[in-house]
Amino acid sequence: MIKKILLIDDSPISRRIMKSCIPKDRDYELYEAGDGLAGFEAYKEIRPDVTFMDLTMPVMDGAEATEKIKEFHPEAVVIVCTADIQIKSITNVLGLGALMVIKKPPSKETIEDALSKAEAHIG
Amino acid sequence: MDYCLNTISDEEKEILQEIMNIAFGKAAADLAEVINIFVVLSVPYIEMLMAHDLPVYIKSQVSEYDRVSIVEQNFWGEFKGSAFLVFQASAGRELISLFGDGSGDFGSESIDALEKETLMEVGNILIGACVGKLSELLGDAVTYSPPRVVTENTPNDAIPVNIFESGSSAIVLKTVFCFNERNVHGFLFLVTSHDSILWLKKSLAAFMEQYE
Repeated sequence: MIKKILLIDDSPISRRIMKSCIPKDRDYELYEAGDGLAGFEAYKEIRPDVTFMDLTMPVMDGAEATEKIKEFHPEAVVIVCTADIQIKSITNVLGLGALMVIKKPPSKETIEDALSKAEAHIG
Repeated sequence: MDYCLNTISDEEKEILQEIMNIAFGKAAADLAEVINIFVVLSVPYIEMLMAHDLPVYIKSQVSEYDRVSIVEQNFWGEFKGSAFLVFQASAGRELISLFGDGSGDFGSESIDALEKETLMEVGNILIGACVGKLSELLGDAVTYSPPRVVTENTPNDAIPVNIFESGSSAIVLKTVFCFNERNVHGFLFLVTSHDSILWLKKSLAAFMEQYE
């Protein structure tokens, strides 16, 4: 069951959009980080059930952060939410272990669908 | 004159930055579909400045290039302005092979003409997709002038001095990108005049309203 969700994105606007798309009636605990490195550190501390990850970020990009999180915790559920929708970028992060990729801007429906898939994956 | 109506706030800059991020991501994906290339993206940057400072600003941004090639395209709608795709001057030659059949045989066309055509095609896709997505997200539709390629200029001469009235303000949306396989990198500047600011402020608010 999903309880903690970590949002990793350098854009505060993008995080605000993400938060608005996450269902309010499920009492999720939401955590935020502003770049890949801060996100990885937050992941180790919080151990979220689901992590939404941007790709184009300063300090550490989302692909590297995904790789580090999956190395640290292979069962981690990382959902990439990105504007970089090039096939090579998508293939790369799926190869690194991301569960799925959502293109920006997300909608309530795509986020709800992603959370359902994550829930099913966690089992 | 109300200052707030003629400038954009930090929050509006952040919204515009995110929309530019989405728009250029779409443009990169469109280009990668047409030619076998991977575009390395960076975080976009938004700046508001006086129109007469634009040429100096853009020159300072591309100062690492001795000579530049620029694809320039104007767009009109509620969102109106000019796009400048700036490469180092050698980019056209680097990119030519991406559009050929791999044989290196380009027929009777001169390399210079091919360079221009290549830059024009890359510019048309990147600018068209980026501006198109940006205006779509902001609820607008734009029309474009044909792209124009200016090559072999120094950055000094590259940007027209009088894009907008000298006393007016301008918003610059900048993104830096790199074509991984070809060691080519460049800048995309979208410059919109103060005529678009009121519309832009309303559209940015409307964009965020759907997420309230």
